[in-house]
Amino acid sequence: MVLVTFVTHLEQILKAMIRNIISLFITGVLIVGCGSNDTTIDRKKREPIKDTISMGVDSLLPPSISSDVMDDFIENIASPVEMAALLKDLKVEFSTRYLAPTANADELTSVYQQAFYLGIYAADLGYLNMYNKTNSVMEYLTAIKSLADKVRVGQFFDFTTMKRLAQNNQNLDSLMYISVHSFNQMDRYLRDDKRSELSTLMIMGVWIESMYLITQVAGNLQKVDNTSETLKERIGEQKIILEKLLIILDNYRNLPNFGQLVEQVNLLKTEFDKVEIQVIPGEPVAVVIDGVLTIEQKDESVISIEKSTLNNIIQKTEIIRNKLTSI
Amino acid sequence: MKNFLKLIFLSTFLLSSEIFAQDNVELVAQCAAAAGNVTYLKDLVVKLDAGVPGGNPPSAKFSMVLSKNTQYRFSICTAPDSEGEAYLQLFDMNVLQGSTYFPNTGQDFPFFDFKCQKTGVYHIFISFKEGKAGEAVGILSFVKKL
Repeated sequence: MVLVTFVTHLEQILKAMIRNIISLFITGVLIVGCGSNDTTIDRKKREPIKDTISMGVDSLLPPSISSDVMDDFIENIASPVEMAALLKDLKVEFSTRYLAPTANADELTSVYQQAFYLGIYAADLGYLNMYNKTNSVMEYLTAIKSLADKVRVGQFFDFTTMKRLAQNNQNLDSLMYISVHSFNQMDRYLRDDKRSELSTLMIMGVWIESMYLITQVAGNLQKVDNTSETLKERIGEQKIILEKLLIILDNYRNLPNFGQLVEQVNLLKTEFDKVEIQVIPGEPVAVVIDGVLTIEQKDESVISIEKSTLNNIIQKTEIIRNKLTSI
Repeated sequence: MKNFLKLIFLSTFLLSSEIFAQDNVELVAQCAAAAGNVTYLKDLVVKLDAGVPGGNPPSAKFSMVLSKNTQYRFSICTAPDSEGEAYLQLFDMNVLQGSTYFPNTGQDFPFFDFKCQKTGVYHIFISFKEGKAGEAVGILSFVKKL
């Protein structure tokens, strides 16, 4: 009797163990699956390319680009580095006037605001890093860390290392690398974590702030009758980026706050609709410059933008940026 | 016993996941550094299974905005334990702009520069030679304004 009871009990324990092992195995598979999603793009795996790659580069045929391309996420849609680099290249003097105040960071209560401001501060951090303004970098790092934690992406923001690099005023290239890489990881994680709307807000924040930065500079240059054709063209070509952003934003139109954002951005679109972009076709040329294989694109886009349109874009960007960053 | 088993299983799964992620972080950092004196912008981490025998190599696709009057650098780094060797191609719609691999000469380049003259969405494909399975990292870097 005792033996039967023992065997029955043992059987129950074994069954429970098996159940647990199975559930743990499933959990484990899910964890591994999630982990790999953070770091790989298996989900983007394509069907095999239709044409073989057997001849020269001239005859390399592209993997057929189908209409689903536009449904994919577009990388590098707003880069905090490139806009700042443009200004530095034009020898535009650094100014803290263009930066969003970090005092706002603690007052942001909704995740919508927090994600949007992450993008705003990312653009500002890129600007500061580009100009090596390490004194101001600290307050932006602190604000970003605080917001990143609230959005639950703080694990990707290596605050300690960045703080050390900024305080020692050394390895500024590393500071730039870690900053940009951290944002890429946050962005990727948000998308993998089914929080793409927050990733979109971050990107919108970067774009709006970058737009604000270059339009403010363009506006100030105009006041001293020194319109930069490069800046003008760079502002005009944002029409292309804006169109892509609006496609992405439209997916979230029904979410709280997104309607207002779409409405605001559409105000800018009405001005950008007046910008004309013409493409002159050409064949790319490969050359070796200083030992580096360099492809010179011979296609060229030509941007036509009236002065009145440029002024309207400058004004509207300022209004929209200030409205969206007001708490 | 149950707790012990749970611990073993969870540790194993979490550890393998963590090691995998860590490897990629290191590979991205190494690849970005190998690109030279340029500014890192994006990393494209790829893991692909082998293609079907006799078929064409699978590839990973990315869409990316590039800006006019900007020189970019596209780098490719194959993971040390990868079976296949990776290459990266840049397309503007259906027109090949650049590649790290030239099959007719067998030439490989760890990176190439692209002098962009037209702002727009470009497409990057990362594949493995002979359709082998593999892991790799592609890096987009900013070189300079033109």
